[in-house]
Amino acid sequence: MAQIGFDRRRINGPEESFAVIFEDNEEDPSKWKAGMARVGRLPLAIRPIFLQPGLIEQANGSAFIETGKTKIAVAIYGPRQSKNIAFHDKGRLNVEVKFAPFSCQKRRAPIRDAEDRSIAMAIHQAILPSVRLETMPKSVVDIFVTILEADGIEGCVAVGSVAASAALVDAGIEVYGLVASTSAAVNGDELWLDPSNEEAAQSKGTLVLSSMPALNKITSVWQNGEMLPDQVLAAVDICEKQCVEIHTVVAEKLRETHSL
Amino acid sequence: MASSHISKAESSYIQAGLTSKDPQRLDGRNLGDYRAVALETGVAPLANGSAKLNIGRNPHNGSGGTEVVAATKLEVETLEEGAVDKGRVVCTVTCSPAAYPHLSPNAVEDLQYDLTTVINQTLAHPSLHPGNLRIIPGRKSWLLNVDLVVLADAGNIYDALFMAARAALWDTKVPRTRFVQFKARKGGVDNVGKGGDGMDVHQDVTSGFDTRGAHSAADFELPDYWDEGEVLDGRDRWPICITLNLVPPNHFLDATTSEESAVPLKLLLVFSFASIEVPTIQAMRFIGTGETSSPELRQLIKEGQRYAADTFKALQSKLKAEDVRRNQKTRELFASR
Repeated sequence: MAQIGFDRRRINGPEESFAVIFEDNEEDPSKWKAGMARVGRLPLAIRPIFLQPGLIEQANGSAFIETGKTKIAVAIYGPRQSKNIAFHDKGRLNVEVKFAPFSCQKRRAPIRDAEDRSIAMAIHQAILPSVRLETMPKSVVDIFVTILEADGIEGCVAVGSVAASAALVDAGIEVYGLVASTSAAVNGDELWLDPSNEEAAQSKGTLVLSSMPALNKITSVWQNGEMLPDQVLAAVDICEKQCVEIHTVVAEKLRETHSL
Repeated sequence: MASSHISKAESSYIQAGLTSKDPQRLDGRNLGDYRAVALETGVAPLANGSAKLNIGRNPHNGSGGTEVVAATKLEVETLEEGAVDKGRVVCTVTCSPAAYPHLSPNAVEDLQYDLTTVINQTLAHPSLHPGNLRIIPGRKSWLLNVDLVVLADAGNIYDALFMAARAALWDTKVPRTRFVQFKARKGGVDNVGKGGDGMDVHQDVTSGFDTRGAHSAADFELPDYWDEGEVLDGRDRWPICITLNLVPPNHFLDATTSEESAVPLKLLLVFSFASIEVPTIQAMRFIGTGETSSPELRQLIKEGQRYAADTFKALQSKLKAEDVRRNQKTRELFASR
């Protein structure tokens, strides 16, 4: 017995313990090196989008969206009376983002953290110019975005904005146009659309463009990291084209759902 | 929205002035004009780097304007297993309630959260990370805290925050460190093994479980130097922000509080000038209810780059002048002893 006070009836494990590292059985992104082509997808290909409006019964409007490993549910309550806020001749748009505790690789404690709010800010800005808030004075529209599974912040912002806009339409709230949104990342000299978490982490800079393709207007550009001005402009053009396609898909789905 | 509420009439009066053929602003500035910017570095003696910035101080009584104090503080951080061993940068913005008397405490908190998010996402991005925050590879590194305090807000807070942060980071000195190594004496290990337990320990065989040999340096010390250390690596890269206030077809710089509340859309462009010829965009944000189109955006980025280059040059010469002034002061102080 090496130590005094050693009790073999207790568990004598080490004081510290570390989480088990599982071998990732999906494609290994660490194999990717700068300058290599994208694995599994073409540079300008986005992951297929599944959208289902109106899944949440008690909400005024809702949408569930899934693209790749990103799964987001959006519920809209309102327009309803805004309490404890002074009179305002325009309505207010309130966006709240919540990560499910099981949504990421690491557990997310169910408390409000900085990332929730930054994503909420970005989604708020993406859809705010599209909503006709002047038609609902003294009211507030609450948008609750629940991220069930996340695959990169950029993806969450883009997909969340699309779902939130679809849910607004599902709720029958007047908008100028549907908002479509796409993310892009600069990897090497290439521009990759709709990057996954690993791809965004390896990239130099990322950009999320939100637009109203029906009106040919940009509502928000949310860019981070190092990009040349020309790269930004090229990314904006490519994302805008992609948004037109996303817009078609979303509009088609909404028409299908509401004509039943 | 951060700005105070103004009446519809006042808002439309300001807008009409800005969008007219011959644009007029309340204080008589041109659309591309900044208010006077006052900057001083080294204002907080206990910080590793600091700066105080004021935009638009009244020249007659020295009051008013947007006032921001930035300070950096370095902390030693022990790394967890699997953490990145390059050090970390964390930025925080605090708003004094006195700067926003018309906002409720909750709204001020939300506002500083939003400001923090923009600053932190930009300055803590890996592409701007300074290279000399490592102390002992895999063990210890510096945590660089950038704290910004908003003392007064008279408009254009984002530009002020980024400029103050750049000045404080420019001023930051990283203390020099030296490794300290503990080595067990060869053959002197018998006083370890002889615990009276009679176990036979083979000292020559390295155990697979012994990870102590992985890093030779065990700790570090701070050698005493006359200056406070070396400057942050890559300090030329720290970006500056240009806020373009869009009132189609015009845009203008450096909005006052009342102008801000009359503007439907603001575009934040954050440029880094690692080399003055090829600036890079480090962040871009839209704030407000307005919208734009891609041809407009193309034009705005081009203009923004031009404004940013001018601001950068002015700030750079001021920072260099501050360096000279403070070194001069130190030398005189030293000589008079």
